[in-house]
Amino acid sequence: MPEAMGYVIVGAVLFALGLIGFLSRRNLIVIFLSTEIMFQGIVLNSVAFGRYHHQLEGQAFALFLIVIAAIEAGLALGLVMLLFRRKDTLDADAWSLMRG
Amino acid sequence: MTSTSMYILYLVFALGAAGLYFVLPRTGPSKSVIGAIFGVSGLLGLFVVFGMQGSGQQSGSIYFYIFAAAAVLAAARVISHPKPVYSAIYFVAVVIAVAAMLVLQEAEFLAVALIIIYAGAILVTYLFVIMLAQQPGSPIYDRRTREPFLAVLIGIMLMAVITGRASHPPTRAMDSPSLADGVPAQATTELLPSGNTMALGAIVTTRYVVALELAGILLLISMVGAIALSRKRIATDVIRPTPPALGRIGKEVEPF
Repeated sequence: MPEAMGYVIVGAVLFALGLIGFLSRRNLIVIFLSTEIMFQGIVLNSVAFGRYHHQLEGQAFALFLIVIAAIEAGLALGLVMLLFRRKDTLDADAWSLMRG
Repeated sequence: MTSTSMYILYLVFALGAAGLYFVLPRTGPSKSVIGAIFGVSGLLGLFVVFGMQGSGQQSGSIYFYIFAAAAVLAAARVISHPKPVYSAIYFVAVVIAVAAMLVLQEAEFLAVALIIIYAGAILVTYLFVIMLAQQPGSPIYDRRTREPFLAVLIGIMLMAVITGRASHPPTRAMDSPSLADGVPAQATTELLPSGNTMALGAIVTTRYVVALELAGILLLISMVGAIALSRKRIATDVIRPTPPALGRIGKEVEPF
């Protein structure tokens, strides 16, 4: 097994952990922290693939991923503050009006 | 990867998922000790599979094991800790471990950028929001999760699909060999130059210059959006006493 496979599996584990946190936690801030863990897994994966193919595209892609993560964090935290000011709670279940 | 080791890998994922299920916050008696035992044994099993597959021949593999364990354990703690502040601190540990693994893959610039942007900027923003939106005590939505079993099941299914695809890739028309073959695309001896920051800068500013400009525009849009979101006046559901009008303070109302 090449070295890249180890990094790919660790990246996949990080992504799965982030997904589990995103699905099961109820605190809005922890939900967005889980998405950041998913971003870490993807960055690790794309760099590993780029190194495996001896190209820099993986690293360039990871650089743009970090930009997107920064954008996501800024907007998501603005939204979290907006929702918190409206209901005075960070519970995601407080916003289950549209669940039906 | 042989099918036997694939089954061992699935077993290892099941162990880790069981550990995670017990570690996730719940009401009632805490079972985190059982969860920790399951989880750590799952992680050790994962490393045994890695060792069986002979990935230990490459240099720096002991560092890979250390940082992979740190990243996975810290990530598990992020999603299982009942206090959001501690989750954020454990997330710093995830970022540092991932940055170390990027250094092992000769992506020095990305590693430093990851630490500066995540551990420096994004984490401080998260901590600010946690402090601003802190609630007294430990609220119920931090102490129990919704549907932990289903979430863990979805996670283990995702892991099985990803590793199954990565170890049995489809046959491609291109000449690039699959990841499972153990053959890098080009000559094995010729690795990327150790300091490839300059090459990364060259490729980003030439071949991907349009994407770079678009990233700048996106950052500007998100900045405008964040300001617009935080300036928005909202009607709160919580009843707060309305402050008196500004001109009346000092005349009819006491200043303080």
